[in-house]
Amino acid sequence: MNKKTIAAIVLVLLALTAKSSFYVLTEGRQAIITEFGKPIGEPVVKAGLHMKKPFFHDVRYVDKRILSWDGYPNQIPTKDKKFITVDTTARWKITDALKFIQTVRNEKGAKSRLDTILDSITRDIISGHNLVEAVRNSNSIVDRISAKEKEIAEKEKKGEVVVEEEVLGDIEPIQIGREQLSLKIAESADTELTQFGIKLVDVQLRRISYEESVEESVYDRMISERQRIAQKIRSIGQAERARIEGRRQKDLNKIESEAYREAREIRGKAEARATAIFTKSLSKEPKFFEFLRTMEAYSTVFGEQTQFIMSLDSDFLKYLRSDH
Amino acid sequence: MPSPDDFVNDIERMKQDFKKAMRFIVPGIGVLILVGFLLTSYYTVEPDEEAVVIRFGAYHTTAQPGLHFKLPFGVDEVIKVKTRQVLQAEFGYRTRDTQGRRSEYSKRDYKDESLMLTGDLNVADVEWAVQYQIADPFKFIFQTSEPVRNIRDVSESIMRRVVGDRSVGQILTTGRVEINDEAKVLMQEVFERYDMGVMIVSVRLQDVNPPDRVKPSFNEVNAAKQEQETVINQAEEQYNKIIPEARGKAEQSISEAEGFAERVVNRALGDVQRFEALLKEYQRAPTITRKRMYLETMENIFKDFKNLTLVDPDIKGLLPVYKGLDSMGKGSNK
Repeated sequence: MNKKTIAAIVLVLLALTAKSSFYVLTEGRQAIITEFGKPIGEPVVKAGLHMKKPFFHDVRYVDKRILSWDGYPNQIPTKDKKFITVDTTARWKITDALKFIQTVRNEKGAKSRLDTILDSITRDIISGHNLVEAVRNSNSIVDRISAKEKEIAEKEKKGEVVVEEEVLGDIEPIQIGREQLSLKIAESADTELTQFGIKLVDVQLRRISYEESVEESVYDRMISERQRIAQKIRSIGQAERARIEGRRQKDLNKIESEAYREAREIRGKAEARATAIFTKSLSKEPKFFEFLRTMEAYSTVFGEQTQFIMSLDSDFLKYLRSDH
Repeated sequence: MPSPDDFVNDIERMKQDFKKAMRFIVPGIGVLILVGFLLTSYYTVEPDEEAVVIRFGAYHTTAQPGLHFKLPFGVDEVIKVKTRQVLQAEFGYRTRDTQGRRSEYSKRDYKDESLMLTGDLNVADVEWAVQYQIADPFKFIFQTSEPVRNIRDVSESIMRRVVGDRSVGQILTTGRVEINDEAKVLMQEVFERYDMGVMIVSVRLQDVNPPDRVKPSFNEVNAAKQEQETVINQAEEQYNKIIPEARGKAEQSISEAEGFAERVVNRALGDVQRFEALLKEYQRAPTITRKRMYLETMENIFKDFKNLTLVDPDIKGLLPVYKGLDSMGKGSNK
């Protein structure tokens, strides 16, 4: 062998050694160094170019980012026996790379553990609570409705017409609520997941819906609720109409009778006054009044067409008589 | 037969050929390397982008729009991210085509996303869109494995939480703006916790409806409201027609009564004045005044009569018989 060949071989060996002494750790990943399968030191988390013992050391990479888990929609009965479909998602992190590699090897293995643990814990927790706990996060709706009821009661007291479109009352208050429920799921899942070097960032109850079989009856209830409200609105209308009609009758009677009373009173007073005037004056000489008034009456009562038979006895005709 | 000399000659010739070839190959390789160097040592960043530069796997820098240089041959990796664009995630529908004059939407198969339970345990069909921007491209790429999916998952969860705290009536009518605002704040909170470099620009409710099967009964409520208004208006109309008229009539009858009163009193006063005036004269000469008045009256009466019969009381058997004017006057005096 000549020198050239030896030099070439040495060069190749050196290159191989150099290549084996460096490794690149990209962002979002962490690395574990193993020596013939035995892990050495802490996981490397800082991205960049790193050195290692050539040939003896192997590098294994696992993810450092927040990873996503998507569960299958589960059909779960709640504590109050409502059948719902719950679809959860979770975000998780590998916190102990070594444990992770030892127990589940890779993300695929982790996913199957997550499936099992999260599904069963979700099932436990959802079925241990009433439906409202998974739907609502606070009791603000209860507060709002009771405030509204108070407002309506006050308005009704003032006699205003209140058309309430919402279904009031019978809203069940919650004890812990949706956010706490998902926290509870995350917490109890976490205790089981630490053995795999996994930590949950959060669990999100992505979708909660009625099961198809229940859906129909919920729709029926919604329909009947709306119909009830529609009916209530209509009957409020009818009541209001009756009220207005009643008021109309009342006002009409009042106006008419008051006018009658007042007119009568005015007339009566006037007549009384006239009578008083007459009495005061006429009583001075009643005889003369009688005469005067009689004469007047004769003038008005008798007209052209009066049939009149007159006796010659009459005072008026006394000069016609032969005996005169 | 070839001689050994020929063999040596052949080798010599090959060596010369090789040397000749090398004269072209070596510069050729050099040129190739140079071209490769030039081609991989720059990059451009578009105006709506930022670029994250990764050197030996580690974050090196974030580049703004323009022309930039980098270490060639894959040492620097450049990841371009559309940070200036407002991105949109749609729920319950998808924009299909924005090319035409009017955007087209398809919403048939997204009921899973849009149907949700309300606080009063009803169901509402809620469609919404989330607009977001990538605030930190490095975090967006490296903090989570599936950023877009996280945005969708969290958005669905938060929207259900916000809707879950409201009644179906509130969601369909008055609560829209409130829902947008609350959902935006809550989503941002979660993304801050993930530290994934996303900023929510807005959350916008789109179509919000009752489920299809329930819709007619919601319309019925609206119809009932109309009906109610009509009924009330009709009653008011009747009231307004009748009452003012009655008021007018009442005033009329009162005015009439007042008029009557004036008349009666004035007449009484007039009559009395006349009476007193006459009385004065009468008292001066009662008998003669009386007589005069009597005769004047009789004259007035009788002169108009068309049918006046005079009867002599001495002629018996003729009826009727009137006793005389004095007794008759009593009977007709009112």
